[in-house]
Amino acid sequence: MSLTWRIVLISTLFVSEAAWGEAVRFSREILPILSDRCFHCHGPDEGHRKAELRLDEQGSVRELIGSGELMHRLSTQDSDEQMPPPDSHRDPLSAEELSLVERWISEGAPWEKHWAFEKPIRPTVPDGEHPIDAFVMERLRKEGLTLSPAAEAHTLRRRVSFDLTGLPPATMDTESTWGAMVDDLLESPHHGERLAMWWLDAARYADTDGYQADAERSNWPWRDWVVDAFNANMPFDRFTIEQFAGDLLPEATQEQILATCFHRNHMTNGEGGRLPEESRIDYVIDRVNTTGTVWLGLTLGCTQCHSHKFDPISHEDYYSLFAFFDSIDEDGKAGGGAKPYLKYQSPKAKPAVEEMEALVASCKEVESESKATAQRDFESWLPKIRATLSEDYEAWAPVSSNGLVSAEGSEFVADAEGSVTVVGPNPIQDDYRITVSLPEGLNRLTGWKLEVLPLDGGNLSRGASGEFVLTNVKLLLRKRGQSQVRDLEMNSAVASSEKGAKGRNYGNVKDVLNDDPRNGWTTTGVGALQTAVFALAEPLEVEPDEELIVVLYHRSTEGDGNIGKFRLWMTDQAGETVRSLDEAPFEALARIPGDPDKSLRERLFQQYLVDDLAYQKAKRRHAQARKQRDQAKKAAGDLNVMVLSERKESRKTHILERGVWDAKGAVVQREFLPAVLPWQREAPSRLDLAQWLVSPENPLTARVVVNHLWQMMFGAGLVRTPEDFGLQGDQPTHPELLDWLAVEFLESGWNVRHMLRLMVTSKTYQQSSVVSEEVLERDPKNLLLGRTNRYRLPAWMIRDAALQVSGLLHPMLGGPPVKPYQPEGVWAEMFMGRFSYEPSIGSAQYRRTLYAYWRRTAAPTFLFDSAQRRVCEVGMRRTNTPLHALTLLNDVTMLESSRALAESVTSIQGLARQVLGRSLAEKESVVFAREYLRAFAVYERDAAAARQLTTVGQQPGRADATLAARMMVASMLLNLDEAMTHE
Amino acid sequence: MSELTRRLFLQQTGVNLGAVALAGLLGREQATAASLAGSHWAPKAKRVIFLTQSGGPSQIELFDHKPGLQRWAGKELPDSVRQGQRLTTMTANQEQLIMPGKTQFQRHGQSGATISEWLPHLGRVADELCFIKSMTTDQINHAPAMTKFLTGHQIPGRPSMGAWSSYGLGSPNKDLPEYLVLISKMKRGSDQPLYDHYWGSGFLPSQHQGVKLRNAKDPVLYLRDPEGLPPELRRGMISGLGELNAMRWEETGDPEIRTRIRQYEMAHRMQTSVPELNDLSDEPESVFEMYGPDSRRPGSYAANCILARRLAERGVPFVQLFHPDWDHHSRLSSWCTARCRDTDQPSAALVMDLKERGLLEDTLVIWGGEFGRGVAGQGKWDSPEGGRDHHPRCFTLWMAGGGVQPGMTYGATDDFSYNVAKDPVHVRDLHATALHLLGVDHERFTHRFQGLDYKLTGVEPSRVVNDILS
Repeated sequence: MSLTWRIVLISTLFVSEAAWGEAVRFSREILPILSDRCFHCHGPDEGHRKAELRLDEQGSVRELIGSGELMHRLSTQDSDEQMPPPDSHRDPLSAEELSLVERWISEGAPWEKHWAFEKPIRPTVPDGEHPIDAFVMERLRKEGLTLSPAAEAHTLRRRVSFDLTGLPPATMDTESTWGAMVDDLLESPHHGERLAMWWLDAARYADTDGYQADAERSNWPWRDWVVDAFNANMPFDRFTIEQFAGDLLPEATQEQILATCFHRNHMTNGEGGRLPEESRIDYVIDRVNTTGTVWLGLTLGCTQCHSHKFDPISHEDYYSLFAFFDSIDEDGKAGGGAKPYLKYQSPKAKPAVEEMEALVASCKEVESESKATAQRDFESWLPKIRATLSEDYEAWAPVSSNGLVSAEGSEFVADAEGSVTVVGPNPIQDDYRITVSLPEGLNRLTGWKLEVLPLDGGNLSRGASGEFVLTNVKLLLRKRGQSQVRDLEMNSAVASSEKGAKGRNYGNVKDVLNDDPRNGWTTTGVGALQTAVFALAEPLEVEPDEELIVVLYHRSTEGDGNIGKFRLWMTDQAGETVRSLDEAPFEALARIPGDPDKSLRERLFQQYLVDDLAYQKAKRRHAQARKQRDQAKKAAGDLNVMVLSERKESRKTHILERGVWDAKGAVVQREFLPAVLPWQREAPSRLDLAQWLVSPENPLTARVVVNHLWQMMFGAGLVRTPEDFGLQGDQPTHPELLDWLAVEFLESGWNVRHMLRLMVTSKTYQQSSVVSEEVLERDPKNLLLGRTNRYRLPAWMIRDAALQVSGLLHPMLGGPPVKPYQPEGVWAEMFMGRFSYEPSIGSAQYRRTLYAYWRRTAAPTFLFDSAQRRVCEVGMRRTNTPLHALTLLNDVTMLESSRALAESVTSIQGLARQVLGRSLAEKESVVFAREYLRAFAVYERDAAAARQLTTVGQQPGRADATLAARMMVASMLLNLDEAMTHE
Repeated sequence: MSELTRRLFLQQTGVNLGAVALAGLLGREQATAASLAGSHWAPKAKRVIFLTQSGGPSQIELFDHKPGLQRWAGKELPDSVRQGQRLTTMTANQEQLIMPGKTQFQRHGQSGATISEWLPHLGRVADELCFIKSMTTDQINHAPAMTKFLTGHQIPGRPSMGAWSSYGLGSPNKDLPEYLVLISKMKRGSDQPLYDHYWGSGFLPSQHQGVKLRNAKDPVLYLRDPEGLPPELRRGMISGLGELNAMRWEETGDPEIRTRIRQYEMAHRMQTSVPELNDLSDEPESVFEMYGPDSRRPGSYAANCILARRLAERGVPFVQLFHPDWDHHSRLSSWCTARCRDTDQPSAALVMDLKERGLLEDTLVIWGGEFGRGVAGQGKWDSPEGGRDHHPRCFTLWMAGGGVQPGMTYGATDDFSYNVAKDPVHVRDLHATALHLLGVDHERFTHRFQGLDYKLTGVEPSRVVNDILS
């Protein structure tokens, strides 16, 4: 392995933007200082302006310069006069900044607009080189540096493949030329998917509304529209116009209307108590802010409440822009009422339906085979079991208590039959805790029975009405001598009689399982014994040193309904016995003299099946397949996609004071941001707004979008704050290059693919990411672009890459969302059981992450570090935490990919080539070999562990030490820094 | 950490700490308890336990005793009191008839705090607590109000108070995350989801986001190794990855790789430290008796209170419990009492337990929800079915330990528990005060994002409530 420390000449100081000798450039060097230190109090926001002084206008600054006040205030040590004042917590100007200002004054204090508000002009390319390289090298030359050498071929192949398709290279092809490889990648249908992921984050796309109800929406056909648009290399101006105003185009097609879903991807709030109009205002605000961030690179959100503190955008400007989106034919509702909708049938759902039909067919077959096997086993089981049943067999065994405790002071008397009578004080509400052992003769517990016995006189409680109200029950398991208990899940409750109850009220027995004191079980059955039977979700093996605790809660609103007398029973019979009050099948079998008739046989068989785990698994999978098929069919039908359409009569738009939805100020008209590009149109529409955005005169859009593209290819934008091109944003690292690219983008007809090709064919793109400590010290953030940025891939690419290298990836494009693996219970915990997540089965599991179902309030768990999709996001999140490590070590997708790799590739070197695209050096092989041997030794000793490890996802387990040990190596490879890094 | 990486780190995170110690930010390795000192001033509290009661507990039933309301029972709320207060759409079209509190009150301890009969255990620790009866917020619906209560802004996306604390202070514990979130496990909890953004890190680096400690097979997502993977193999794999990544680091010079090596090691340590933390079998029987019968049930609020104490012992700087379902629009006498029973004994026990272990003096305990409840009855005011709608203008919150005056009641509401009559404390002021106790000046503790300097307390004026500091 060759160490490739680069030797470079090091100059001691990082040279600032303005080399001595050149004139100070106001917009790039002075304006940022004024903005940062002064504009907060002396800027465009009249509301916060102090001393009626503004420093964002040339006139008043001139005056201050003339009087000498400017330099005095900035440089004085006197804390009463110093600017910015000490209590502003803004740093005073540094010596360098002061001397810059001084020089600028001495050069006559020339004034310019902020650079980003000036229309870009194509600078001349310094040399005959690739234009990108020419600008980058020119800059490096000034610093006495050069480009880094090109990266190794395998690194480059991976880099460009991830950047253009979001996937590692599909083949080991080393023959193609760079240009041909780039063309292939740009032509790949996965290219559109890669760009779509960028766009979906910016568009805050999700499959649900967000907020409390977080209802499902069916906007995914818009996601497919985006993929198609990128794959067709739709010019970005058209891409913009259709998403802003497809509905307003002459003879708009369905697809053009579909495109406008972009501006409906915001969250919608259906929380009870919320005023729809308040929500509607939020949605309009979201559209304005998203437009500002994605197209204009402006933090317009600031001007929602007041004029911008730094940029020349007023409170009124904001609402004039707001007016373009204020007359959508919407009413602020969420869930199924979020009109306007487009009725749309997606052609992309059909393949999903076909796949699901095939899956159902295969699952059905497995289930019936498994049932046939069970039938055969049942035939030999039945006589054997019958022989064990005595004539007086009872499925339910009476329970005697080891301890009875009341929370509020009731007392108990138990008789020999196990009946417990409640005596003593009669509190309004009470809980009874009854500690019991599993009755003798039972080998497990599947359910329990509560009998409420009439007191003398027939009452069921000692309360005034004689009725009882049981609000909740619990069944707990405790090991003797241990402090903690386990809460046992019950999933069925049936009763001899229930009082009819509508809504949340007392009556239904199943409500005692829900921990809610506002409902529960009561009857109208005073005088008769009442029975309730509860089934455990899973049969429970009870150890001899374990005891059970039954808790009966009487916590109703009015109280006075504590059970007066009761008895408990338990059983080990599964199925029907614990789900009905009828005679148990075994009891019926014990009572009859001859062979069971057909109906009893069937009941016995059903009971047998409950305990047949292989059959139950096949049955569940079949049911899941049918469910998925039904969802796919639904997705293939008419869908309501949220889109834009204009009201017949426009709403009157007001300035909202402090951004408060009902604090209506002056009425405003639709107007284009004057600071960006003044434009006159008669009664302008959303279509005009879109055209304004992509007008060749607009100074921002081309720069902002080209910067996004650059960020995708290089890992960081030329402007490092892609969301903010305003005065507080970062300056471009290469202003001329940015302008050159912006003009090129415009003049190429907004050709995205052309721009990407231009970027990746530069030498700048193809540099190595290796960096020496000296260069790192000198240019830690790589502002000079003298190397390639090395950074962790986004989580979605890491997942897609694992699927690709393992051969699991299902490359189908489009269609309804799918559900990749995620740990159990995540949705249920957040929504208290209202939603639960079932991972997709079949090939749907292996689709690209782009298609993963996105619940807004609970984003896919494996996407650590992703955009949140609540509001528009265009920056990059890149952190490095132990939680990421745990995800990549233990996520089922990663493990199943390791398992699939281990199956298909037999050597460590082969695995490395598959995952990293290169062979291992010897010192690396040694480490892998060591871990392989360690694992092999373990799994050779322990075949069961090998089977367990290899049973993952939808892969069957095998007691194969070689396979298990290879899987460990594959998992290690997938967890290597190199495997998850853009190098 | 080298000087270079240190500088790099600061540039990249855009932090402005004023004089805040950098120890916490610069990697846990150096962050010891001692190095947490030297913030803007010496902190009174080294950690926070935030007992978040989601849904808006009724101050009228629990703390804010208004005996005079009996005279107003069933009468319309005077406009002079209501002063145009907005209502939610749930009660906006109904008469605002006054429903007096449904509970009896007693004065407790030497401080004479008024605490309702529904919270008998809390009464016994009254002299440790500082009640703020004049809390106020400006959001009337759950999600925005909770978002404001926890992040300082009603729109999701800002860093939460715990994230700010973790970001500013770091942790002396190398084996556990800095900010842990524990949610009570309930069968039917509530209609208000507990969104991740309540403990999110917003624009702060994501290692400061709260890590949810779940009562599930995976107490932290992805913590558990797959079945059939013995610990020795995992250990070997982590070491192997470390060696291989170190080779890569030598070749590429990328400092991020060294961080990755450390994070994989930390992940591996968490695989031991978290289950140990969760395993309460080393707690004596007396602890469970102190925290009440529910504490035996893992995942309950009571069990989470024991966990919170264990986390405090381990130096975790921010622990946040969430107990859902305080949104009592109806049937206060069954519904609200149920939540009181879940939380009363364990909350009181936690305060006493911390005190007995000498941890209370530098642990700030906060109990409260996102808003209060209105004096008018929702549904029938004179029936047991009656409940109360949301009320942002006033609510009660209590704090204990960590530099807060014990046995104190601060602020007051009017005769209707409707408006703050004395010493209002906005949720922003609560944030400023909590940060102050952690040794941080909220005005100087900012983070630059999208060209603006953000702080937890936002742009509106806020104050440290000096009167409640000990």
